[in-house]
Amino acid sequence: MAAEVLRQTVTLRWRGTVTWAVGLAALVLLYGALWPSIRDQPSLTDLLDAMPEVLRSLLATTDLSTPVGYVQAEVLGLTGPLLVVLYAIVSGSASIAGEEGRHRLGLLLAAPVGRARVVLEQSGAVVLGSLVVAASLTLALLTSSVLFGLDLAVGHVVAAGLHLGLLGAVFGVLAVGVGAATGSRVLARAVPAVLAVLAYLLNGLAPLVGWLEPLRPLSPFWQSLGHQPLLTGVSVRGVVVCVAAVAVLAATAVPAFGRRDVMA
Amino acid sequence: MGTPSAPDVVVNTTGLTKRFGSTVALSDVDLEVRRGEVFGWLGPNGAGKTTTLRLLMGFARPTAGAIRVHGRDPWRQPAAVHREVGWLPGDPAFHDRLTGRAHVRMAARLRRSPDDDKTADAVTERLGLDLDRPVGTLSRGNRQKLAVVLALLGGPQLLVLDEPTSGFDPLVQQEFQALVREHAAAGGTVLLSSHVLGEVQRTADRIGVLRAGRLVAVEEMSVLRGRSLHRVQARFDAPVRAADFAGVPGLRDVQVTASTLRCAAPAAALDALVGRLARHRLTDLECTEADLEETFLAYYGGEPGGR
Ligand SMILES: Nc1ncnc2c1ncn2[C@@H]1O[C@H](COP(=O)(O)OP(=O)(O)O)[C@@H](O)[C@H]1O
Ligand SMILES: [Mg+2]
Repeated sequence: MAAEVLRQTVTLRWRGTVTWAVGLAALVLLYGALWPSIRDQPSLTDLLDAMPEVLRSLLATTDLSTPVGYVQAEVLGLTGPLLVVLYAIVSGSASIAGEEGRHRLGLLLAAPVGRARVVLEQSGAVVLGSLVVAASLTLALLTSSVLFGLDLAVGHVVAAGLHLGLLGAVFGVLAVGVGAATGSRVLARAVPAVLAVLAYLLNGLAPLVGWLEPLRPLSPFWQSLGHQPLLTGVSVRGVVVCVAAVAVLAATAVPAFGRRDVMA
Repeated sequence: MGTPSAPDVVVNTTGLTKRFGSTVALSDVDLEVRRGEVFGWLGPNGAGKTTTLRLLMGFARPTAGAIRVHGRDPWRQPAAVHREVGWLPGDPAFHDRLTGRAHVRMAARLRRSPDDDKTADAVTERLGLDLDRPVGTLSRGNRQKLAVVLALLGGPQLLVLDEPTSGFDPLVQQEFQALVREHAAAGGTVLLSSHVLGEVQRTADRIGVLRAGRLVAVEEMSVLRGRSLHRVQARFDAPVRAADFAGVPGLRDVQVTASTLRCAAPAAALDALVGRLARHRLTDLECTEADLEETFLAYYGGEPGGR
């Protein structure tokens, strides 16, 4: 059956993915529910002004009194990308490295399925999972928008969700690849996690640190969220860069997995 | 494609060697396993049995030498090799929340064999396994049964079984042995590893003995049975010397204390031994056949070069 490895991986991960999706949606709804009480507090913008510049730069927000500024600060500035990326890394590291660590990889590898297919279809499953979790966040934002009067543009929210999903996909497929290349669950989590933190800081601090500015496009966070999707919608370049990164990472993981001994 | 000149060779290795860092797991192994035979792959723990089977499955790459399965290189063409091979790992692990049936279905789909695999149902019935319980609730023996079912799925020509009967009670073990014999009788091939001869002696046609990564013997089971050792104890009315019994071919473990001789002799050496015994006055003679396991250990269990 075509894409049988992907189908099985999705089925096996379904429970975890739904848990993450529901948790993230609940969190977003909670932030949304707080909006009506926050909107009426002028002191909040003062609070933001009192924050260190670094923090404001990291959250990429200047104004808590508008819905877009609020959602940017509370959801898209840190929480949303952090959790989507975390989900993707956990899911990606569970793929090859996780199964290998549990001595279960043989269930796939003893079948008449080449290693390349295992890497590519497991990467596909991680991308799908990341998009599902991001879609759940999107739905929760849209629901909040209606329920709590955030009044966000539907197209822009969907754009933000798409970019979040692709952002997660980049680090998730990196986790699959590190696991495929090394067989180590620890490395499959640590390498993408460290890189994600560095990329987040690079994007957030570049406006304050002159010499970082030219490096900023290297950060998937900048590619995904730097254009403020809630204000401007989809960035075609951002989508292309993330999709290309996913493709290159998956394509690199194939020979890396093919070269080494596995503990199936 | 299969080598046309040797259609009956299912597995063959030439100079097969595998090192892990400085550990030599397998050293220069030449082996042929043929169609229709059950081949026992024997050796103590750490001898390199699992390593051989991993090389056969293409999970690891030989450091030197070559291995072919149905004429194909499993490292380069794992998918093609796996279509004809059923594998049972040394430490089978499953998705604990899923049932046995879910595992069977997933494996069948990966093999593109029908979902309601008749083999699976038949084997499950014979071994006495409940496919509808989550695997996490199964005993070790029942997990092992599930591993057998998965290995047989889709009717592969070659079964590669890594210590398959550990965890089976005697009745299940018999049923399993019957399955193995039937597979071979139908033209299939079985390669099964074990660290004790007892587990394979009733099923194997031939055995290969591995020690510290080296193949020290390949033997027909029937030949090994013919060489079964006899424990001999003789008492004489006067002291004897060890030299009196030197030169009897195949005589082992000779112990002489005053007027008593203890030794082990293969069946073929009994006549010559009795000739030597008759040169003295016997007061007592005891001769018992050792079990095959003991024979096996005597020949292959000692230090390298000890046979
Ligand atoms: N992945 C590995 N890394 C390092 N050493 C290994 C590895 N696999 C096996 N070995 C070593 O190779 C030798 C043979 O192991 P193995 O094939 O598992 O033996 P057996 O299955 O006969 O018990 C042992 O010394 C073992 O420690
Ligand atoms: Mg072993």
